Amino acid sequence: MLPEIGHFALILALIAAVLQVALPSMGLWRGNVALTQLSKPLLWMQFFWILVSFALLMNAFLVDDFSVKYVASNSNTQLPDIFKISAVWGAHEGSLLLWALVLSVWSVAVSIFSKRLPSEVLNHILIILGLISIGFLLFLLLTSNPFERLDIVPIQGRELNPLLQDFGLIIHPPMLYMGYVGMSIPFAFVLSSLIRGQLDSTWLRWSRPWTLVAWAFLTFGIVLGSWWAYYELGWGGWWFWDPVENASFMPWLVATALVHSLSVSEKRSAFKHWTVLLAISGFSLSLLGTFLVRSGILTSVHSFASDPARGFFILVFLMLVVGGSLSLYAWRANLMCSNNSFEPLSRESGLLTNNILLVAATLVVFSGTLYPLLLDSLGWGKISVGAPYFDVMFTAVMIPAVLVMALAGFLRWKKDKLDRVVDITIHTAFVASTITLITYFAIDNIYVVLATFLSSWVILHSLLLLAQRLRQRGNPGTAFLGMVVAHIGIAVFLFGATVTTQYGVEKDIKMSLNETVEIKGYAFTFKGVSALQGANYTGNKGVIDVAYQGAKIATLKPEKRQYVTGMPMTEAAIDPSLFRDLYIALGESLGEGAWSLRLYYKPLIRWIWLGGLLIMLGALLAAFDRRYRLKYKVKS
Amino acid sequence: MMYLWFILMLVISALWLSWFLYRPLKTSAFNLEKSNIALGRQKQTELEQDLQNNLIDEQVFEQAKDEIVQTLSVEIEQTHGTTATDDTQQSVSIGLIMLIVAFLFGASLLVYQSLTSYTTVTEVRVQSEKVPTLAQSIARIKQRVEEKPDDVKAWRMLGLALFESGEVKPSLKAYERAYQLDPKNVGMLVEYASTLAVSQNNQFTGRVSSLVREALEINANSSDALYLAGWVALNAQQLDLAQKLWQKALSLLAENQPERGTLQRMLNELAQIQNKDAQPAQQHQVTLNITLSERLHQAEFQNHYLMIYVKAARGRPMPIAIQKIQLKDFTGVVTLTDENSVMPTKKLSQSSKVLAVVRLSKSGSAMRQASDIEAVSQIIDVRDNPTVELKL
Repeated sequence: MLPEIGHFALILALIAAVLQVALPSMGLWRGNVALTQLSKPLLWMQFFWILVSFALLMNAFLVDDFSVKYVASNSNTQLPDIFKISAVWGAHEGSLLLWALVLSVWSVAVSIFSKRLPSEVLNHILIILGLISIGFLLFLLLTSNPFERLDIVPIQGRELNPLLQDFGLIIHPPMLYMGYVGMSIPFAFVLSSLIRGQLDSTWLRWSRPWTLVAWAFLTFGIVLGSWWAYYELGWGGWWFWDPVENASFMPWLVATALVHSLSVSEKRSAFKHWTVLLAISGFSLSLLGTFLVRSGILTSVHSFASDPARGFFILVFLMLVVGGSLSLYAWRANLMCSNNSFEPLSRESGLLTNNILLVAATLVVFSGTLYPLLLDSLGWGKISVGAPYFDVMFTAVMIPAVLVMALAGFLRWKKDKLDRVVDITIHTAFVASTITLITYFAIDNIYVVLATFLSSWVILHSLLLLAQRLRQRGNPGTAFLGMVVAHIGIAVFLFGATVTTQYGVEKDIKMSLNETVEIKGYAFTFKGVSALQGANYTGNKGVIDVAYQGAKIATLKPEKRQYVTGMPMTEAAIDPSLFRDLYIALGESLGEGAWSLRLYYKPLIRWIWLGGLLIMLGALLAAFDRRYRLKYKVKS
Repeated sequence: MMYLWFILMLVISALWLSWFLYRPLKTSAFNLEKSNIALGRQKQTELEQDLQNNLIDEQVFEQAKDEIVQTLSVEIEQTHGTTATDDTQQSVSIGLIMLIVAFLFGASLLVYQSLTSYTTVTEVRVQSEKVPTLAQSIARIKQRVEEKPDDVKAWRMLGLALFESGEVKPSLKAYERAYQLDPKNVGMLVEYASTLAVSQNNQFTGRVSSLVREALEINANSSDALYLAGWVALNAQQLDLAQKLWQKALSLLAENQPERGTLQRMLNELAQIQNKDAQPAQQHQVTLNITLSERLHQAEFQNHYLMIYVKAARGRPMPIAIQKIQLKDFTGVVTLTDENSVMPTKKLSQSSKVLAVVRLSKSGSAMRQASDIEAVSQIIDVRDNPTVELKL
């Protein structure tokens, strides 16, 4: 009976969302405050019933209710409880329910923490969010009911994909969804402004902190995904240009452009066209990501659900969202004109250049991801766009973006003088070039030399900017500090990614008992393999002693697992540190005690995720700036 | 009972909604105009700070200041152009509240009714409030096919359920009925062919072969049908064809599908067979020392059968080599060799990691029955010619 209650709770949430759109709209039309003010209570009601539904699905997993098709397909009695919980969002239906829950969480947060937003604006925003909710709840109920029952109840369930039986899965999807769905907030702000015909300072001011928080979550979700792929997939890679990775990366690039565009619009009332289009694109790309994953047109580790009917539903939804919002944009385009001028050498120009480059980078990823699908669907043949295309094209666009990024903070609003800019740049360029030159003599890799220049260029400018601000104002403000931290994060990421790609060592070898192999001064000694028995798998565990300069520094135990369903899984063993990772994956038995092993030496790989975390921290610092706690002087 | 819960949920929702209709939330203390003015002021203050800190010169300051004022005047003008709502708190008439509550009740229950096909089977399930056993499910599906003899889905489910419970012949009858009703259903054809193969001691010949062919004619890219077609080819000693079919099936499966592991192993084993065909094969055997408990020495068990076999440690649980002995003829030791292999193309000696199994069955059926007693060994390697101790 509990699954039926969960199903009914979802229906109640849908009805609440319908009323959340209908009643306040009627109130706005008729000038009835009582109806208008219903948007919040109806939103809270919607949130409550989605939460009940989610809790009941989780309960079905925990009590092994295999009469629920979704539970029977993704869990079994041997699955540890922690993975039964994460299995709730381990496949299509549950992850969609999580999406709906996250959307309601964001909406409730907006309704609670927007006390400085006038009610008329907030109610419009909640109506838009209600409309999005209706779309997702209908999608759940019509095509992806997580509470569907089985007529024949299996005695045992199937298996959660072993790739997903991991700590990373417990937090990666919720965080990524927080980012994905978070992009609906700036979208709702923009749409409500377009509908009201008031693209004013209020909209610009209050949508920025929400965009920053969504961007922080998106960054964190992508970082977690990359980290999970690194240690779980057993290939030692951290980014594969997988179409679904790209699907989350595109909204990130657009959100990055949006937070910068918003800062110009907010401060200088310029770039409103950009800001509106970026907000619409950001959410549309989030929906596109969902469409790509759920339609089944992609084959990757993420496309665990494939159903053309579902894909069709999202495609129609996407067309309505994109078509509807662009039509509104065209209708209100005249309201976005600004007479505020700026010179070619100004902060506005710097940020505009960076925005153009970020959009170009998005188009590179977009075309590389969708072009093969387009060709295939038109019957013009199958092509594969892989890492070489993305590496070359993306890098070509991002190098100037990084150069400009460091400079833009120094430029003054409206207009600046070339000699002043040259005066600053010449010093930082000299120091960055000196560091690069030293690197050039120490190593012979052009990519690392280039990365050293770009990273030191960004870090030097960021620190100089911070010193300048401290001298001028004493307290730089958290928004400013956030910008510095995020830019340093980009530099750290860039350096780490380049060094690990260029200097990483990978060896696929056969090792016999007590045989030693040396990589970059680290001696790996194979000590054999023992049998392994887990809660829902059997397998083998290898033991490898690692020594450096004669002293043992670690014992690594990579595993090869065989899950109940028969799916094999590699569990890599990693000795992590800030400057290098030692990574071992166990291969196959080659007889007579010998095994195939993959050994990796990964210098500075942790810097990639450290950079990502710094970007996230920067975004959060900026979101909680004092400027967003503005007190109005209200006369009673 | 379930509807009582639904009513309770609806009552909670209706009370919540009615309360806020009766006592609406207060509107924000700020209107749009005040908000934009406050923000304009803040911008102006920041601009003055920039001037003080020498970040802009006087001329730029004046320009920017004018722009702030202009922007604010445009915003105020836009605000005035819109219809302002009455700030006084308005309540809603009782009639409208009733209408909204009625909509809440009616729409929720109507949507629920239209989304659920509320059949007798599900009603029984919900009322029993516990997960039914396989036997109960079979009884309900039988009831269903009696009520609706043309329900293809139910016949197919019955076939599957009967197969799961070890009733192979009745399962085949159910599948045959489903086949007559809908011969173009690839999933059903694959299940039917698999069941038929099991009933023929895993021989993928005759009707099995034609069913698989029919499935592939309907959908040449069905990975399940391709998998079975590979077995048909293997049965016919067409190793290259089997390899091609399995490779195609593998290419159609997504990276994360567990079936890939099984197919990959089948292909590896096929490659080993193809390699070994060129060399004189080495013969291997598995010896099982089986100890019976005191109870099994009683006369009532003497006509029972011992099914002694080895099966692959991973993948499909089909026996590789098997001996079937009546308990009265059993000596305690059984040796499985290539002569006991089930498939001519998959000899025991060609296997590596296997499990040895001994099962006591009253009927001697190939499928495991609920009353059977079974013992399974640890994973052993056939290449070591192992001797296994099992207790029953």
